[in-house]
Amino acid sequence: MSPEVHWMSQLSNEIREAARGLLRDGKAQVIIGFEKGSLSLRGRPCFIRNEKDVERLVWNGFCETNVARYLPKRKGKMAIVAKGCDSRALVELIKENQVTRDQLFIIGVPCEGMIDRHRVEAEMGHDAIIEAEEREESLILRTRDSEKILDRKEYLYENCKACTHPIPVIYDVLIGKPNLQSAQKDFSDVETFGDLSPEERWAYLVQEAGKCIRCYACRNACPMCYCPECFVDISKPQWVGKSTELSDTIVFHLLRAFHLAGRCVACGACEQACPMGVDIRKLNRKLEKDVADLFNHEAGCSLDEVAPLATYRVDDPDSFMVEP
Amino acid sequence: MENPYIPFLMRIEDVILETEDRKIKTFVLAFVNEEDRKSFVYVPGQFAEISVFGKGEAPFGMASTPTRPEYLEFSVSTIGVVTGALHNLGKGDIVGVRGPLGNGYPLETFQGKNLLLIGGGFGFSTLRSLTNYILHGPNRTAFGGVTVVYGARKPGLLLYRTDLEAWKERSDISLHLTVDQEADGWKGHVGLVPNVTRSIAPSPKNTFAVVCGPPVMMKYTLPVLKDLGFQDEDILFSLEMRMKCGIGKCGRCNMGSKYVCTDGPVFSQSELTRLTGEAHF
Amino acid sequence: MSLDNAKILEKDQLEGFLEGLLKDNIVFGPTSKGDLLLFDRVESANGISLGRGNTMNSAKDVLFPQTERLFAYRHGEAGVEIDGPSAVKKGFILFGVRPCDARGLILLDKVFGEPLQDPYYGEKRARTVIISMACETPDPKCFCLAIGGGPCSAEGSDLLFLDLGDQYLVKAGSPKGMDLLKNTVFKKANKEVLARADVVEKEAEESMNQAGMGRVGIGETIEKRLEALFNDPIWDDITESCLGCGICTYLCPTCHCFDILDEAGQSAGERIRIWDSCQFPLFTHQASGVNPRPSVKERFRQRIMHKLCYLPQNGNLPGCVGCGRCVTECPVNLDIREVIQKISAREAE
Repeated sequence: MSPEVHWMSQLSNEIREAARGLLRDGKAQVIIGFEKGSLSLRGRPCFIRNEKDVERLVWNGFCETNVARYLPKRKGKMAIVAKGCDSRALVELIKENQVTRDQLFIIGVPCEGMIDRHRVEAEMGHDAIIEAEEREESLILRTRDSEKILDRKEYLYENCKACTHPIPVIYDVLIGKPNLQSAQKDFSDVETFGDLSPEERWAYLVQEAGKCIRCYACRNACPMCYCPECFVDISKPQWVGKSTELSDTIVFHLLRAFHLAGRCVACGACEQACPMGVDIRKLNRKLEKDVADLFNHEAGCSLDEVAPLATYRVDDPDSFMVEP
Repeated sequence: MENPYIPFLMRIEDVILETEDRKIKTFVLAFVNEEDRKSFVYVPGQFAEISVFGKGEAPFGMASTPTRPEYLEFSVSTIGVVTGALHNLGKGDIVGVRGPLGNGYPLETFQGKNLLLIGGGFGFSTLRSLTNYILHGPNRTAFGGVTVVYGARKPGLLLYRTDLEAWKERSDISLHLTVDQEADGWKGHVGLVPNVTRSIAPSPKNTFAVVCGPPVMMKYTLPVLKDLGFQDEDILFSLEMRMKCGIGKCGRCNMGSKYVCTDGPVFSQSELTRLTGEAHF
Repeated sequence: MSLDNAKILEKDQLEGFLEGLLKDNIVFGPTSKGDLLLFDRVESANGISLGRGNTMNSAKDVLFPQTERLFAYRHGEAGVEIDGPSAVKKGFILFGVRPCDARGLILLDKVFGEPLQDPYYGEKRARTVIISMACETPDPKCFCLAIGGGPCSAEGSDLLFLDLGDQYLVKAGSPKGMDLLKNTVFKKANKEVLARADVVEKEAEESMNQAGMGRVGIGETIEKRLEALFNDPIWDDITESCLGCGICTYLCPTCHCFDILDEAGQSAGERIRIWDSCQFPLFTHQASGVNPRPSVKERFRQRIMHKLCYLPQNGNLPGCVGCGRCVTECPVNLDIREVIQKISAREAE
């Protein structure tokens, strides 16, 4: 449908080259990467096993979804195309024994952010977008009778704009621009929210929970949510209800955020997957800040760092006990 | 508008502990309202949704026979939230009931035929209902020979021992009980239900086979019946699929183009082979 | 379409018409909320956002809410008292529904209406009027035409509005609609207007046929192919990227699976129903521990089989109206149209 004028076509070619080599040399049985979606503004994960399919691999601003989520308990040797955030998830999954390092050949791709398709659709007034052409600095949208050029950076996911690790932290080969600028670590949004009154904060959380339809796309897209039986599905005891009543929904998001504390790699796959625009990462960012403050830890940066909430140290903060 | 989701009330009259592991109890229920008792007309093989208010609802096959209409009986194995809660109830407690649901056994079609009833473990509930129905007074002459094969892991896990004793005494029913392994004092068959069925080698002539039990038991009983010469249309299964509404709306029990709760739970093997996909053993 | 069942509404009359509807009814329509269009209750005529794509959620949410109370109960001296649902008093107007979503309600009417009437759906449905807005410019995700519908189809609607620029052509799709057309706000149409409407409809359909939009080739053959390919390894390939979430089923205008559960207090509580999804792992999990659909593959296959094979096998409309929501909102862009194409092209082994 749309012409293959991706400014990232060079990167696509490099990924394909790497993939071809890996398949030929038998270094990987499957390449998990991204391909063009079936509509404009869409990319999607793909699983490449034959050289004839290698051409499908692409790299562009629609390669959302954290493909590390396909790895837990997967067997065999595989190659995976990883953005910065995806690679951080790989670090955590390796540490949590969901996959081993030597199973993986990591094709690292420094990422310039993924495009927020819902925001683009809204910007176009929900008119039918026939074609979307991505360039280095811009995004050209065509409807049946109009064309609009958007500033690419402006229409990235908010989470991507704040990304502190665009360059993969582990990889076997790194393609593309190795010296991408990253955002500074900044929790001022969490602080600002924390300065609001309890009533204002509660009102915001209630508003966001009200949008949630309990589809669990956030959970299922998350690379760190790989429990064979999620707490939502346990009936004895029932931890949280499955209805869309406020108490059920808000508890689901709270509990999931806590289960991710110290493990969430800020990839934003949850928000990308959410069809209803819920501000899911509001809670995660608060816990990221708490983990940074209390344990001086950021998830997914180093294979050598232990997970703070899975480890006991004698000098763990205990002010909540001694200075309540 | 009439509301098929609202249960009517029944009172627990008696609770019978069936198994030595205390996991299966039979609840004897009486109708709270006379109109409900009058309108509850069922056939063996049907089921009902039993409510423990505040815990939920679960489907259970009718273990009682409609020939004794004063009470309804359901056998409950304690597994989850609802069954666990039921096991904590006793005489005088109120439960909700929605039913009768499902298609039941085709009694009309069974007239004049021999019946081979094969049950395993907990699935024997509706076959007990059917057997008691057939054996009830004048009903008996409407049917041919009746052979029952019923197995459990151990003797102490057999249900309805009072009924089993009574059936043993009768000459118009051939009862074959089996347990998985030898046990002290056990004089019946030893072996899995499909194997015992094979060794009894009942004739398929003018006979319907009705099978109800765990999926693995039904799966291995089918080839035995085929080897014995039973045709697909003469083999009936009472299936389990997770059910919720019981009235063909919630979609949970969808199996091929059928709903187990309304088109079943009783299906002939010929129906099952015509269904696409997961209906096949 | 003829002069008997079609009239004109001047565009400047629309607001008044909507205000009139709002007076005595609860009105639902497309509303703009942040980046999304949502089908929701509207309190005023200018709360409706018309003629812009389709809403994220569908009109099914009104008649079949995601969380709905079935009854309340109370433990008392006399045993247990049950309070059934209270009657709905006002009428419902579903305004600005797209033809695909209106067609979806036909299937829901059948599921909830036969053989036993579901009173929760039925009560609301009996007092619901469906006023649809045709799609003059279908979206690339739309494929209603391929599945037996159409961008300007009045099937399932009481009234269908077709935007002719300066005015709407308003067509009745039902006896209820014919009755509504008697409202004096609607003016007589003429042959010229009907001809213009025909052109709009043809252009809308033509745009779907271009560039692969709407060409899916669904028909009786897909039913037979699906039957034959139930155990085919192609499903491993098709479902490999599926996340197993419930987006496709929840946004779908025809999906209707639900769960029933109790919410208990000390001595009183309620029984509610909530949406459920065949995509969720516990959907078919049996008490014995057996699960006939143990992985994403079986569950994804079930959705396709149910929609495009089992429902038609029972003489129903297929469980898909071509709205395209599952295509655009699936986080991994699993495209049901591509699934159908792959199945159609596959030789049974």
